[in-house]
Order: sequence, then structure tokens, then C-alpha cells
Amino acid sequence: MKQIFLLILLLIFLISCSNNNSEVIDYKDNNLSNGGVLINAMSAEPSNLISMIAGDSASSAIASKIFNSLIRYDENLNFTSDIAESWKISKNQKTITFKIKKGLEWSDGVPLTSADVYFTWKLITNPNTRTPYGADYTLVSEAKIPDEHTFIVTYDQNYAPALDTWASLEILPKHILENEDINSTFFSRKPIGSNYYKLGDWISGQQVNLIKSDNGVLGAPHIDKLTSRIIPDTSSQFLELSAGNIDLMNINPIQFKRVFPAKPKLKRRTELYKEMGNGYTYLGFNLNKKPFDDKRVRQAINYAINKEEVIKGVLLGLGEPISSPYKPGTRWNNPSLKPYAYSPKKALSLLKEAGYKMSGNNFLVKEGKALEFEIITNQNKQREMTAVLIQRRLKEIGIKVSIRVIEWASFVNRFIKTGNFDVVVLGWSLSLDPDQYNIWHSSQQGPGQFNFVGYHNEKVDLLLEKGRRELDLDKREKIYHEFSKHLLEDSPIVYLYAGYGLTAVNKRIKGIKMPAPPAGIYHNSYNWYIPKSLRRNEFTDK
Amino acid sequence: MLIGISLISFFIMHLAPGDITSSEASFNPKASEESRQKLREFYNLDKPVIIQYGLWLKRMVKLDFGNSFASHQRPVLWEKKDNNGNVIKGLIQESLPITLLINLIGIFLIFSISIILGTISAVKQNSIVDRSITFFIFVAFAIPGFWLALLLMYWTGVLNQWLPISGLHSLDYKNFSEIGQFLDLLKHLILPVSISMLSGLAGISLYVRNGMLDVLHQDFITTARSKGLEEKTIIFTHALKNAILPLITIIGLSIPGLIGGSVITESIFAIPGMGKLFYDSVLMRDFPVIMGILTIGSVLTLLGTLIADIGYAWADPRIRKGLVK
Repeated sequence: MKQIFLLILLLIFLISCSNNNSEVIDYKDNNLSNGGVLINAMSAEPSNLISMIAGDSASSAIASKIFNSLIRYDENLNFTSDIAESWKISKNQKTITFKIKKGLEWSDGVPLTSADVYFTWKLITNPNTRTPYGADYTLVSEAKIPDEHTFIVTYDQNYAPALDTWASLEILPKHILENEDINSTFFSRKPIGSNYYKLGDWISGQQVNLIKSDNGVLGAPHIDKLTSRIIPDTSSQFLELSAGNIDLMNINPIQFKRVFPAKPKLKRRTELYKEMGNGYTYLGFNLNKKPFDDKRVRQAINYAINKEEVIKGVLLGLGEPISSPYKPGTRWNNPSLKPYAYSPKKALSLLKEAGYKMSGNNFLVKEGKALEFEIITNQNKQREMTAVLIQRRLKEIGIKVSIRVIEWASFVNRFIKTGNFDVVVLGWSLSLDPDQYNIWHSSQQGPGQFNFVGYHNEKVDLLLEKGRRELDLDKREKIYHEFSKHLLEDSPIVYLYAGYGLTAVNKRIKGIKMPAPPAGIYHNSYNWYIPKSLRRNEFTDK
Repeated sequence: MLIGISLISFFIMHLAPGDITSSEASFNPKASEESRQKLREFYNLDKPVIIQYGLWLKRMVKLDFGNSFASHQRPVLWEKKDNNGNVIKGLIQESLPITLLINLIGIFLIFSISIILGTISAVKQNSIVDRSITFFIFVAFAIPGFWLALLLMYWTGVLNQWLPISGLHSLDYKNFSEIGQFLDLLKHLILPVSISMLSGLAGISLYVRNGMLDVLHQDFITTARSKGLEEKTIIFTHALKNAILPLITIIGLSIPGLIGGSVITESIFAIPGMGKLFYDSVLMRDFPVIMGILTIGSVLTLLGTLIADIGYAWADPRIRKGLVK
């Protein structure tokens, strides 16, 4: 007993002597200077730094700082120069000529020329390359390099998403990879790139260190070293951020709305950023199944779901309702479209029109069959919560809904691929190019293809085909505004919300644009800097 | 025996729907179904399971564990050299040492602490000390590890900055001397080892306690006491030796556990160990890695049982004699 008593005393003593070294740092210092280290946290380890093969977001986050594309998106999501200083589309819209900047170098000093671009195109279209992204580039019927600074591609048919595909293809060095097998090369762990950072070292499972490259295509960055620590658990990331050991992490709505405001000390040294995210969540109907083949039923369910409530409940208000599959604020988004307002009355009258009657026990019935279905979704907390909120609202108007949550691989293979589902809650990305052919064209319904809801509308098919062939931006905009209108009217899916991307950054990092531009806070990361007085001292010497 | 185990594991693994091409990242409209089919052909995933098993067995006979699907063809077990002299480390090769280290320290601590606690509570049976020890080990057993881990991380890492929160090394550990690096590693291991140790205490200490109680009630102890031997000698030389005999079996059986890490502990503390490797490869359906870990695990299980039997015979003359007969 005595020992335990002593132990408790000791514990109390230990707790009480927690040191209060609340060093007061003045974050007002804004003097731009080069140097310093930025430490961020990522949840998963990159699999491979050749992004045409990797495909996971951790890999592309690192690879995009090492490699360049021909062109890139600027902060307002328009194209701007990267490796290519300019590009020209021919009159018949079938040929694109890229002029490559002069005097470019790989980080090992070898010149970067059109030969590297041509090599990369050859590589991604080579059937032996294990890349899932080759299809877009095989549409090029002819690629030419008349000189070191020109790269010309010709398409059989004009292909409007072409520029977007060239903005996402990272150019690889020919002089290193020429005689390598791209599928197993060591280059994926020791890449030589052309961008403002190069790989310092990579400690498996622990951290990836990038150091600045002085001969990058976009010039040198201000911050000398980027350390990405691999911390799978977000609570641990948060503790590291609280202790000041990391500078940057992605956070969730609860941390943004509840945790940070409750911790004034932490709040004082952290800036929270909010930007339009890259994806949206929807409720998708299986249009090949009754009763979802009836537009009125789909619209009724759309009216019966309170999107504002879902955004408040699931995202704590950190999201927006959408009415087209494009980022709000970009030109592809049709501003005249409004989401279906919450109206159980309208829902009920539509269902009555479709032949449903309220039965004695408050459920809708048609021809002796109750209106009931199952919502399936994968193991994703936000989607699960969304499904529960929808279940409740639908019950109010007499629809019986059950929910099933399934592990991802089973979800895709047993339900999505086979078309064996009623309704799903899932997400799509808000792609930068407006082309949505793979998702909505009626020809894309085979197993493993992406129009798995089975949407078929001839007008939409036509628009999607036209949109792919039109390179004139203004004409293209009209086409996709029209497409969004039909899609909203037909309601094959219910747009639920587009959540914000939330990031917490230590205030020592300066140069981040607030409020975030459409491209997000990272787009100018080479302009970020850390004033001398705010650097961690253990890293400044050396 | 091994073939049976591997055959069963192989089939169970393939019962789960999906393969490497159905990861969440590949659910991307930019990735076409044809290219996924192509990938499946590359990895022979389009062939019947029994043929895939045959191919795997053919490689295993040469002790070739193959290459991982998910991490760009990294070798599963051991490093390989490419034509340019770059060494590509194996996945298991990189994850195993740290998991072994944590588990060895853990088991050593569990056994030493449990023997002490178990002996104390047996000797002072039903006293308040016994009761509080039992209470303590059961609380330790019942506390959710991740919860306690987070609390401890917050207390020792954020509030007081005594211990590092996560990871295995400090960021600047390369500038340390070798001893410094080792101490740095130990410092990072304090929390993960204590957390993974806590839940193990309960079982072993109760084993020791009950074994000890059994022995203490036997005739030869009474004889020893009547001979006038000191109580200390009786407990430590005569009783304890007999009481911890069954532990040999437990040690033997825990050998396969040495290579398995806890996913939760490893994720929270950001330790790239075997638990995380196995968990991730199951989620990614990275078949060569799954099979590699399962095979090593089953070899170790068989070995462990053998070692336990041999160790028992070595320690206990009664069993040795039984064997000779």
C-alpha cells in the first residue's frame, strides 16, 4: 500500500513539474531570406517517384517537386509555362507545337531538350510500361522533334483534353533511363529531376528529404530543405505539430473547427488554411435497377436530402454544395445552376406522380412493393456519416433505407464492377479538365469502366463527344455548361458536397497566399520562405 | 507441412475479392480498364489460382520470395543489386530488425517484470500487495493501447518534451556519434515498448503466480522448510525454478510472434515495422509480400514448437527420461 501511495505521489510530482517554457516567439518577422528547413507530415510512404507508374498521392506529392511537365496550371488554374515556354495550337486544332525553354538542365547538369520529352512520350505509350495512364497519350498519331527546342504532336482527331494531359505528364531524363527497365529501375528511388528540389535521401518508412536544386526549371526555391516525415496516424501528426516538431499537416474539420480554437497557445503559432478541395461526394443510383430508372424517383430523393444539413453535420460547415462536377469558381462551373433545394413536399408529390402511395405504416408503396433500398459505401467515416443523415431524411418521407459499409477492394469488385448495388455514396474528383467522357458517356458502362451507375442520355453523349473535340475555350465552356444542366436535371447522382482542403501550417512559414487561390496553397511553394529569426536552431548551422 | 500451410494461406488470400489493380488510387477515370487488365497479365493474376500457386512454389523452392507489386518491384525478402550496382533493399529486410528489437526488449521486460510480480503476489498471497498487483496488471491489460499511447505521447512529448513523440530517429541523428545514435533510438523506443509490453504482463505474471502457488504447496517445500532453510533460499532456489518451467513453452511459442508487430502501435508511433508492412500489403493485395510474411511466420512457428520441446527436455530431467524410455 505504501509503495502505491508513493508511486501516486511521484506521478503527481511529475505531472506538476511540467515545464512552462512558453518561449514567446514573435512571428511578425517577415524578412525574406533563403535557407531553413520545412518539415511536413504525410500519412503514407510514396511507393515510387516515377509518377506515371506510381499513381498514389504520396508519390505524386513528392515527384511533383522533383519533376516538371511541359506546361502547368497557374494559381487560377489556367495553363502557364513550365518546361515549354510557349505552345501553339494549329488552325485545324490537331497539332500542338511546344517551344521548349533554352538552357534547361537536369539536376546532374546534363541539358534538358526535346529529346527527353520525346523519350517520355515514347515511354508512356510503350505497351511494356506498367502505367495505367497511357491511354491519353496513345491518341497522339505523330510526335516530332525537328530541333532541340521544339516538340510537335499531332492527333488524328482533335482532342481537347490534350493540354491537360501534357500538364500532367512529368518529363523524365533520357540519358539515365534510356537503357533501363522502367518497371523495376532504381531510378524510382533515386530520381534525377529538373524541378526546384532534388532528392537528398529517403529513409524507408521514416522520411524523405528534398534539398534545393539551383538549376531548376523554375529557379531555386527559398527554403533549403523539405523533410517529409511519414506518420501514418493523424493524431500522432497532430501531437507532433503541437510540439512544434513539424510545420505542416493536413487536418480534418473537427481539428479545424473544434481543436484549434480550444488551444489558444497552439492557435497563436499556427495558421489554418482552407481551400476548395479536389473532390466531391455524391449519392449515385443504379439506373439499371427499378425504381431508379424513373427520373421522378431520383429527383424526389434529391429533393428529400438536405445538403446543408449534411455539410453541417459531416464537415462542420467546411464544404460547399455543388450543382455540377466542376470546382465552384472555375469557368467550367455553370453559375446559373442551383442545387436541388431541400423540400420534402416536392419529393412526395414527385413520388405520388411516379405511382407511390403512403401505406398504413407510413411507408411508400407501389404495386404492393415498398420503396426501400440499400446504400453501400466504403470504409470512410465521412461517407458513413453522410449515409446515416440521408437515411434519416428519407425515412421521414417514407423510404426505407439500410446502410452497408464495405472494405474498398471488395466494394469495387463485388458491387461496383458487377453492378450489384442499389445506391452508393462515393466520391469523384473535381477534375481540372472538364472532360467527363469516361464517367458519363453511355459507352463507358462495361465492367471496370466508370459509368457504373449506367447513365444514358443521348444529348449528353453528343455533348461529351463534342466537348472532347473543341479546343476553343469559350465554345468548350458553353458545351460543358449545357452538359452540367442535363446532368443536374436527370439527377443520376445527387451532388452532396465538395469539402474544403484544410491545412495547418506553423506561422514561421511565410509567403503562403491567404485566402487560398483556386489552385490551392501549394501552387507557389517555391516562393515560401522562413525568416532567419524563426528557423529551428538545430538545423541552421552546417 | 509447410506446403500445406502455404497452400491454405494462398487460397485464403485469393478468396478476398480484388487484386493489386483495385486499390483506391486506381479508381481514377484517367486509368483505363485495359491498362488494368494489362497489369493483371504482367503479374499473372489472370491465371487460375492453382497455377499462380504453382508459379509461386517454383520460385520458393529456389528461396526466391519474389518482388512486391505495390512498391515498384522491391524485393520482398532480401536486397538485390541492379546492373548499375545500386542496392535495392528488401521490404522484410528493412522492417524486420526494428520489429525484432522492439519485441525482444518487450519480451525480456515482460518476463523479468512478470516473474518478479508473480513471485511477490504468490508469496504474499491474498495480501493487499497481491491484490494491488493483480489489479494493476489487469488494468494494464484492459486499457486500450492506442488511447494510453496518445495520452503518454501528449504528456511526455507535447507538455514536457521529455521524449520524442513518434518516429525512430531524431531528424539530425546523422550528426550524432554512434553511441548518441543508439541512445537516440532507445529514447524513441521507450514509449512503444512500454505500450506493447503492458498488455503482456497480465498473462505471464498470473502464470508465474499460479505456478509458484502450486509449487509452494508441495511436499518438498514443506521438507525444505522443516530442514530449517532460509525462506529466501526456499523461494528463489527451490520454488522459483520449478514454477517457471512452463514459461519455456511460452517462450518457444512466442518465437513466431517476434516477427509480427502491432499495427496500432506501429501506426501511432510511426514505426516502419512488420505489422504495418503486413497490414498495408493486405489492403493493397500485394500477394508476394503477404505470402512472404506468412511463410516466414509458419517456418518460425514450427521451429518455435520444436525449440520449446527441446528446451523443456533440457531443463526438466523428468521429461528427458520419459523420452529415453
